[in-house]
Amino acid sequence: MAKDYFGTTLSREEIEAKKREREEQLKINNRRLGLLIFQLSWMMAFIALIIVNWQLRYSYPSWPPPNVKAMGVTLPTIATLALLASAVLARVALRSVKGNHLMRFITQWRTVLGLGGVFVVIMGIEWFSVQMGTQYGTVFRLMTAFHTLHAVAIGAYMFNILRNAQHAQAVLQGQLTNDGRAVFYHAENYWAVEAASRLWDFVFIAWLLFYVVLYWWRS
Amino acid sequence: MATITAPLGQGSTVAGKQFRVSDFLRWTIDHKIIGIQYIATSLFFFFVGGFLALIIRTELWTPAVDILPSGTAYNTVLTMHGSAMLFLFMIPIWAGFGNYLIPLQLGAKDMAFPWLNAFAFWLFPPAGILMMMGWFVGAPEAGWTAYPPLSVAYSLDGQTLWIVALHILGISSILGAINFIVTIRNMRPEGMGWFQMPLFCWATLATSIIVLMATPFLAGALTLLLLDRVANTSFFNPANGGDILLWQNIFWFYSHPAVYIMVLPGMGVLSEVLSIHSRKSIFGYRMIALSSMAIALVGFTVWAHHMFTSITPQLRIPFMITSMIIAVPTGIKIFSWIGTIWMGKIRYTSAMLFSLGFLSMFVIGGISGVMLASIPVDIHVHDTYFVVAHFHFVLFGGAVFAVFSGLYHWWPKMFGRMLNERLGAIHFWMTYVGFLTTFMPMHWAGARGMPRRVAEYAFEFQTVNQIISFGGFLLGTSTLFFIANVLWTFYNGKVAGPNPWRALTLEWATTSPPPSHNFDGMPIPFSDPYGYGTEEATAYIEAIESHYAPQLPKASNATTMAESNA
Repeated sequence: MAKDYFGTTLSREEIEAKKREREEQLKINNRRLGLLIFQLSWMMAFIALIIVNWQLRYSYPSWPPPNVKAMGVTLPTIATLALLASAVLARVALRSVKGNHLMRFITQWRTVLGLGGVFVVIMGIEWFSVQMGTQYGTVFRLMTAFHTLHAVAIGAYMFNILRNAQHAQAVLQGQLTNDGRAVFYHAENYWAVEAASRLWDFVFIAWLLFYVVLYWWRS
Repeated sequence: MATITAPLGQGSTVAGKQFRVSDFLRWTIDHKIIGIQYIATSLFFFFVGGFLALIIRTELWTPAVDILPSGTAYNTVLTMHGSAMLFLFMIPIWAGFGNYLIPLQLGAKDMAFPWLNAFAFWLFPPAGILMMMGWFVGAPEAGWTAYPPLSVAYSLDGQTLWIVALHILGISSILGAINFIVTIRNMRPEGMGWFQMPLFCWATLATSIIVLMATPFLAGALTLLLLDRVANTSFFNPANGGDILLWQNIFWFYSHPAVYIMVLPGMGVLSEVLSIHSRKSIFGYRMIALSSMAIALVGFTVWAHHMFTSITPQLRIPFMITSMIIAVPTGIKIFSWIGTIWMGKIRYTSAMLFSLGFLSMFVIGGISGVMLASIPVDIHVHDTYFVVAHFHFVLFGGAVFAVFSGLYHWWPKMFGRMLNERLGAIHFWMTYVGFLTTFMPMHWAGARGMPRRVAEYAFEFQTVNQIISFGGFLLGTSTLFFIANVLWTFYNGKVAGPNPWRALTLEWATTSPPPSHNFDGMPIPFSDPYGYGTEEATAYIEAIESHYAPQLPKASNATTMAESNA
């Protein structure tokens, strides 16, 4: 038996439970801060490519260079809106997990991935349709490919979460037996979803920068 | 400020863990082993880089190319020397010190992300091997700065391996830096505010911020270089609309702050060693801590001083000003360190000697840095040996001296045995004299116009080059004394005890080496990590000694020089 700061008597079990709670809180705080720092850091790689784009413009009298067709803004705007909707919905889906609504989460997460898929497909179309032969085309391809690779990698991680959730749902509904490998996301275990959602925010913010530079910033 | 005089939690005395060599050859998440793995691997590459330096100095004994088969071969040796020293030794060795010390100094059991920590380390040896494999496929020859078109059109496949290796090292650095910041931010113990942290933690924090903000730029530049080499793009080829200055801008936006990545942790070491070995509280704690952050910030505004001869002339003045401004926080540190040792009870231990060596050499390197920040001087001595002298004064005279100081200081904690002080003193004096003989004459040669990065030079420079080479051989030989000391210590070194230097920071409030969970109970930090000279400090230190090593005579007996009172 021991007393806490307020003089309340605590049993050994209660002390251990408080200690575990503190350690869990520290763990989640560490993860959140670590991910935030990583995002801030890696955003610099995207900013580096924006500087590359900016400096290459000085080699030409105009941007896009003479006789090079500028990329249209309609398709990428649709892609941007899809990505924005996807990022917002990922946040909503996270709330569903925190509220223990697994079925709702699965539906929302599927939509998140679907909208992400729309973005990636449009980026593919853009990548192939840019006019090559000058630095305009080269740096356009570089930047869109660099960003889309991130979207695909993080999308793969999100897809894995969807698979886990679907597996867990099937186990809960008795369609599958729990072989010990099922991952259950719920109010006490949601870090994977939160991390994916934060990474997806990162994909959107990075894209927003590129979208402005690639499609709207002409000189 | 309340002073805590009961330093240790309740619990049984824990015997120091004795490591086996095999412990260091396997995957582990113990930050102490990872720290030593970093240090050992970095030192290996330090010897590789040093060996290459000796080849360079041997070649330059005469004005003609006679030892190496050609000037191209000389370029490859020069490139690999710089790359090994900077990317495989200087940067990762501080990650090693940080890994070993940060959790201990904060009273934590481990880093915030132990698995990530191990992963970051295990990226390092393969990257080093990859870079060295360049020798077998045509080593890079564009210098450590890898300027195009040299690195695109004239380098062989080793240059591609070099790029990939740097990419991997960059990822390793970023992961390590995230770990340091989260650990420092979230895992300080109760009673340790930001301004009660050891200054090494502050230095590592500032360094990590630089790593995180600058390294992605290098990743961007390397990606472009790789594409120019393997995907037929022409980002750096003006003939196809590329820009040759693009590389220089992005590369130096990383690489100038990278100089502080190499030096700031050394400054952290100095702040610890100078205070402990002169038995005085650190002078200007807050200024030293905040000047590290100021250097981290201003370091991002000076990169174009490396391009004074290539950028638009109108841009020179702003970069000259920022480059001179950055000398201010550095000057604050130097002033504070001198204030710290002033009238102190200085113990001339090997650690202290190397720190004093840093102090004197870094001042010279700093002054020549301010000279080079001045546009007329820079243009006059551009690409000459004056520049070589400057950055060796900063990076060898500064950072390498700090590495040795840190090794002599924390070796007893890492391995539980003292390094031999006599061998340490010989090591120091040979290094000091060898260093000055090598790099001081380079100022003269450079000011007289001897170009850098050449295997052949004018006959009038032969004498000065022979003096420099002689110094280089002396410097190479001095390292053998360190190796001898390490070997001697494993068999004959005195048992260190928990706190041989009678220090107040938390890494000394445990056994040497510490157990796998670091501390016996919850350590309570002393309110002022540098508050030497008070009765409370003496009581704190004696409590550590009697708790962890009651069987030993006073820990201060481990070295007679540690007899000074607390």
